[in-house]
Amino acid sequence: MNVHITPTMLGQVVISGILSGALYAMVALGLALIFGVMRIINVAHGPLLMLGAYTTYFLYSALGINPYLTVPVSMLVLFVVGVLLERTLVFRVVDAPELSSLLLTFGISIALVNLAQLLFTSDLRAVEYLTGSWVVGPFALSKSRLVAFVFAGALTGLAFLFLGWTKLGKAIRATSQSREVAMVCGINVQRIHLITFGLAAALAAAGGALIAVIVAIQPEMGQIWTFKSFLVIVLGGAGNYPGALLGGVLLGLIEQVASLFLTTQLSEVVAYVLLVVILLVQPTGLLGGRQT
Amino acid sequence: MTRRRAALAALAAVVAVLAAYPAFASGYGVRATLQVFMWIVLASSWNLISGLTGYVSFGHVAFFGAGAYAGAILVAKAGWPWLPAALAGGVAAVLLALVIGYPCLRLRGPYFAIAMLGLNEVLRALVSYFEGLTGGGNGLSLPTLDATIPIYYAMGASAAMVTLVTHAIITSRFGLRLMTIREDEVAAEAMGIDTGRHKLYAFLLSAAGPGIAGALTARDQGYIEPISVFPLATTITMIVMVLFGGKGTVWGPVLGAVVLFVAQEVVWTRYPYVHPLLFGAIIVAVVLLMPRGVLGILQIRYRLPRTI
Repeated sequence: MNVHITPTMLGQVVISGILSGALYAMVALGLALIFGVMRIINVAHGPLLMLGAYTTYFLYSALGINPYLTVPVSMLVLFVVGVLLERTLVFRVVDAPELSSLLLTFGISIALVNLAQLLFTSDLRAVEYLTGSWVVGPFALSKSRLVAFVFAGALTGLAFLFLGWTKLGKAIRATSQSREVAMVCGINVQRIHLITFGLAAALAAAGGALIAVIVAIQPEMGQIWTFKSFLVIVLGGAGNYPGALLGGVLLGLIEQVASLFLTTQLSEVVAYVLLVVILLVQPTGLLGGRQT
Repeated sequence: MTRRRAALAALAAVVAVLAAYPAFASGYGVRATLQVFMWIVLASSWNLISGLTGYVSFGHVAFFGAGAYAGAILVAKAGWPWLPAALAGGVAAVLLALVIGYPCLRLRGPYFAIAMLGLNEVLRALVSYFEGLTGGGNGLSLPTLDATIPIYYAMGASAAMVTLVTHAIITSRFGLRLMTIREDEVAAEAMGIDTGRHKLYAFLLSAAGPGIAGALTARDQGYIEPISVFPLATTITMIVMVLFGGKGTVWGPVLGAVVLFVAQEVVWTRYPYVHPLLFGAIIVAVVLLMPRGVLGILQIRYRLPRTI
């Protein structure tokens, strides 16, 4: 393919990449938190995002609520779902071999997706709220993507403030550094696990709610987000929370640049090849592992 | 050793009946048994990597699909007979496993599981993209050929082969090393086991069967398309079969494949939407309540040998 790339095109690509990168970073931060604190990769992370998207869709279509006002509602609902899942199922495999936690969350993910298919059908559903773009100079900024970027940036910032400055946030980071030492310091580790899982589900839900305004949603939308969130973590370094920010923006940029040269069909292939290459040359991620 | 003799005699009888079966069975019977053979190949192969080493493959259907496309392309475009094409399907799947397994299995942790989770989507996208070779979304038609009965024998031989290989591994030092990796990888390394290489060998072995089964299925059905050979549901089904039957055993996957296939045919086809939901619930329940599966429980209760 012979593409002539102008500076405008490149600028547009960088803007789009950063816009979607913030969303990747926020969703991946949830997965990174669970991995850091509980040493579990939650395969159901993407399906939780899907549930957040449907919460927003139904609040919008049935009650006519502004979809952006539903973001905190979706987050709250999924926080509760996350806490319930942790309390009933996931806590049983925290210390089990990796096989158990992967299979358990995989089973949960299949159950959630098929439950959604049963209840909501596989039809594509769209929240038609903020369509069109703002044109700034030579660049077109999709309205819904820009608002999603602002939301994702703000929520990720809040999450980092919470982790950095509140007592609970510090307890979460302490648990992720060393569970035994955290216990000795009087931290209730079971409670931290519960809150972390809820928080991660809420971050996924926020992502789902914002995505529902951008593209049409369906029950199987989630799985690719589990994969992409994991890729973001690997890019930034597993267990390294600020790394998730860098990883998210990088993934956004790489996908957009790839879309210049290849069809969008192949953008997932690009992301995949990226994962394999990084595991081959720099498996600790670009910022190195485990700094919290 | 009378118990062992009786078991071997029963096994020989089953093999004899299955070998004679196409001579007097209905078309449906042969087809259903062929499917059971296919599921035994898939489930036992998943067991080789995930049941023995504890490294979960969430995308094993990718090897089935890769084998199906490799075999179908050789038959349709290069005019190969179906039997060598099926073997080539197995080789293609092993090569794919090498490309994915080498970077991902050197590392401990969830990298391999997630890489396999994405592999399937990637292959589907690639197959749709290279339309000239694969027919893209329109699929690929093979020349008509009525070979159900020879394919029945080929698939049956594959199922027997995978089961035999599993038995040979579980009773060997190689198998013990794989299971050491599953129980404690750090300890395995400390004892001098080259864990990366052992995991990779197990993974390559586990890709061959699905590749051959994919190519045989493609030949039997005469038509393949991306959606029909890369369904996530197939991976889910093989995982459920192994977990239910008993992971890390020789006969657990076989038991799971037979029981769940029959259940699927008799009961669940009437409730097409509930059954995948049920599979998710079965996985959760087995992991939490009976992690050793049915055969594992029987092994403990009736003091059966570890190597069945």
